[in-house]
Amino acid sequence: MRDLFNRFFGGPKTVGKSKEEAKQRLKFLLIHDQVDLTPAQLDTMKAEILEVIAKYVEIDQDGTEFKLEKEEDCIALVSSIPVRRVVERPASPPPAGVTPAPA
Amino acid sequence: MSECIVITSGKGGVGKTTTTANLGVALAQQGHTVAVVDADIGLRNLDVILGLENRIVYDLVHVIEGECRLKQGLIKDKRLDGLSLLPAAQTRDKNAVTPDQMRKLVAELKEHFDYVLVDCPAGIEQGFKNAVAGADKAIIVTTPEVSAIRDADRIIGMVEAAELPEPQLIINRFRAKMVQSGDMMNKEDILEILAIPLLGVVPDHEDIIVSANRGVPVAFDDESLVGEAYRRIGRRLGGEPDVPLLDLTVDDGLWTTIKRWMGLAPAREVAR
Ligand SMILES: Nc1ncnc2c1ncn2[C@@H]1O[C@H](COP(=O)(O)OP(=O)(O)OP(=O)(O)O)[C@@H](O)[C@H]1O
Ligand SMILES: [Mg+2]
Repeated sequence: MRDLFNRFFGGPKTVGKSKEEAKQRLKFLLIHDQVDLTPAQLDTMKAEILEVIAKYVEIDQDGTEFKLEKEEDCIALVSSIPVRRVVERPASPPPAGVTPAPA
Repeated sequence: MSECIVITSGKGGVGKTTTTANLGVALAQQGHTVAVVDADIGLRNLDVILGLENRIVYDLVHVIEGECRLKQGLIKDKRLDGLSLLPAAQTRDKNAVTPDQMRKLVAELKEHFDYVLVDCPAGIEQGFKNAVAGADKAIIVTTPEVSAIRDADRIIGMVEAAELPEPQLIINRFRAKMVQSGDMMNKEDILEILAIPLLGVVPDHEDIIVSANRGVPVAFDDESLVGEAYRRIGRRLGGEPDVPLLDLTVDDGLWTTIKRWMGLAPAREVAR
């Protein structure tokens, strides 16, 4: 009915909130533009970093978050990486020239 | 047989990027494979109009400099089979690319796509020369304004100097009401001045703004009048040159229609 009304009287076809979408997309875009790192590149970086971290600790892959955020006068890479527990691993030999501290 | 079409205007802000995005969508909707190429290096925009900005990893300059393969640089539009975007670099400038490199890139794209649409930057310098380098033909976008038409005329000359065939014209931001009241040049006026064939007319419409906000080109919207204008142009371009242009008759509302029935208002002037 409303559609019919709008059709006759030339009202807006979609009652929009598209400006909110525009604003959100823009904020995101401008931060990424500033550091010249696209969201897709951030994703790749995230995957690489997590790969390294996973060598040492077990992490909750789904719960991790990586994003660029605008701080007062800089842009920060903010990440949250939930750690489950330390992975059991064989004790690595101490680097050459370093005497292990007595137990 | 595939074809590379450059969308150009001379004057900035007349609707080249909007046109490229929507014709890309319209051609892909007809079942063609299409690559849209953002040649506006340093001022990347086609990605946001298409809503694909979050998926960029590589760009045109990466591809040209051999830092990635062409396939890695192309972003497939998941909403529409057959449509892919090659984004511009955002942090380089127009001199990062030469016409020869563009020619080579376009030749490679043409092996994979039916249509390669190149979104040309404003101006007549290096960016324009790069954008036209690999093109088989040009579409000129203008608005019904003196400055835009003057620049279009200049660009038509440059397109001919580049030994491309006679370009086709899209008149954008057409306002039937202003034409009717005599405050805007109509199609005939513009064609008389520019003397090139008309490919299409696109109304000035707020749907364009909403679609840009959302990153969803208006050609996706079946109910939009502007979307229909682009779909028709896409068909005329894609092998059905006789598809009629959208009838942009002034939609002057119920009251004038009633008055017209009663003989109190002048008959409609069709914006032909
Ligand atoms: N038919 C239309 N109706 C309403 N607004 C339009 C229409 N076409 C284009 N616009 C608006 O005009 C502005 C410029 O459009 P666009 O970016 O496509 O132009 P352009 O020629 O690519 O610009 P540039 O020269 O900067 O690359 C945009 O804000 C766009 O939303
Ligand atoms: Mg543009």
